[in-house]
Amino acid sequence: MNCQEFWNAMSQTAPPQMGSGEEMGSGNAGMTTVRLADSAGLPNHEHLAHCPGCAARLRSYVALQKGLRAVASQMGSMAAPPRVEARLREAFRTQAGMGAGGWQSTGARARWMPVSKWTAVFSWATAAAALFAVAAFLSGGRQPELASPAVSAGVEMAVAGMPAEIETDDGNPIDGRAPTDGGTSTDGGAPVVESGFIPLPNAAQIGPNEEVNLVRVEVPRSAMIALGYDVKPEEASGSVQADVMLGNDGLARAVRFLD
Amino acid sequence: MTPSPPETDDELLIRLRSGDEEAFVILYRKRQAAIYRFALHMSGSLTVAEDVTQEVFLALLRQECGFDPERGTLSGYLFGIARKLVLRNVERGRSAVALENDLDDGTLPELAVNDDPLVELTHREDIAALRRAVQALPRRYREVVVLCDLEEVDYADAAVVLGCPIGTVRSRLHRARGLLLDKLNQERNPRQAVGGLKPARCLS
Repeated sequence: MNCQEFWNAMSQTAPPQMGSGEEMGSGNAGMTTVRLADSAGLPNHEHLAHCPGCAARLRSYVALQKGLRAVASQMGSMAAPPRVEARLREAFRTQAGMGAGGWQSTGARARWMPVSKWTAVFSWATAAAALFAVAAFLSGGRQPELASPAVSAGVEMAVAGMPAEIETDDGNPIDGRAPTDGGTSTDGGAPVVESGFIPLPNAAQIGPNEEVNLVRVEVPRSAMIALGYDVKPEEASGSVQADVMLGNDGLARAVRFLD
Repeated sequence: MTPSPPETDDELLIRLRSGDEEAFVILYRKRQAAIYRFALHMSGSLTVAEDVTQEVFLALLRQECGFDPERGTLSGYLFGIARKLVLRNVERGRSAVALENDLDDGTLPELAVNDDPLVELTHREDIAALRRAVQALPRRYREVVVLCDLEEVDYADAAVVLGCPIGTVRSRLHRARGLLLDKLNQERNPRQAVGGLKPARCLS
């Protein structure tokens, strides 16, 4: 066997292992395993006995494997930050809780903005809120009033704070403009605030200075029934987009259907 | 009384599909770190890695997620989604910028030193050099090294993730290791550079 044949054969086998004489890890079970035999960590192979060049190169491969294992073990403790789990759990609950027929029958689909986009969203929201305040001042200095005692300042802040259009990761704009009908209604039993947001049952109220996040999701239309909307039976299997308002703790507080 | 064996991914997935949040959390905690590290190695950006991890598990929540146990493991499926998302980020150019910012600014957490005097490449500088060399590999080679060498994904799963035959995985891995050695040799001994360790022609 010459060098070329030797390396061709090596490329078709599992790499030499770090430990002496250890079998391949369970991850690659079933692969041809090169067993290490000598103290230099090289496999028993006739070619290596006659070719110092290949032996040297193979030795460097073994060292490389050790280095890669060291990199892997040192980075082994790295994991996604806890906030990712919190967001995913919230997405799970939103999805599971909003499907009237339960998780299996909903076909619900959640879409979250990537982490990196929150900064842009908050910047836009702050700018829009400032613009709103200036406009209110210039138009007579009248102080904005709560639409009803049931509406928290936090909800209003979110409504005012959202820019006219914010692009999500899939390119769809989030329309943050408040509907023009205004006021609070209790149509269907659920209190609808002027932004169109309906407080979720058993959800905590948003604090006066609490920052809120809006997340757009797609839910089955049947979920609207649970919140007091009339849904035609033939439309119940369809889906509808909704904005979910999340509090500081990442829990959903209110929802607004876009249709 | 012996403790019950941990649930398999497939069992957890069935529970997840029936709305069991605990199953989702167990599955997430079991798999998220590997996905996060894969995305981090591939993109060099903590932000992208976090985004990708979140998106991968959101995809799992979707009813139409498309996972088919017949075609491979759940782990392989998750790596496959992560790979596509990373590629999308790379195409957008986010990773290239983030790579410079995150790594050069030392955003990555300092790694602990593994004290093993017998191992040549476990010195902090060598590890850092090796990590840089991995990130400097062309993507097709970097992904096999990250999957097979760093995350210990088996070759069959890696082939599914990469959408190529298992023989291609092996040959890419072999080539990738050669490139890594060349890169490390260049750093250590710029004069000898490439070819310092290449075998002379041998007819034996």
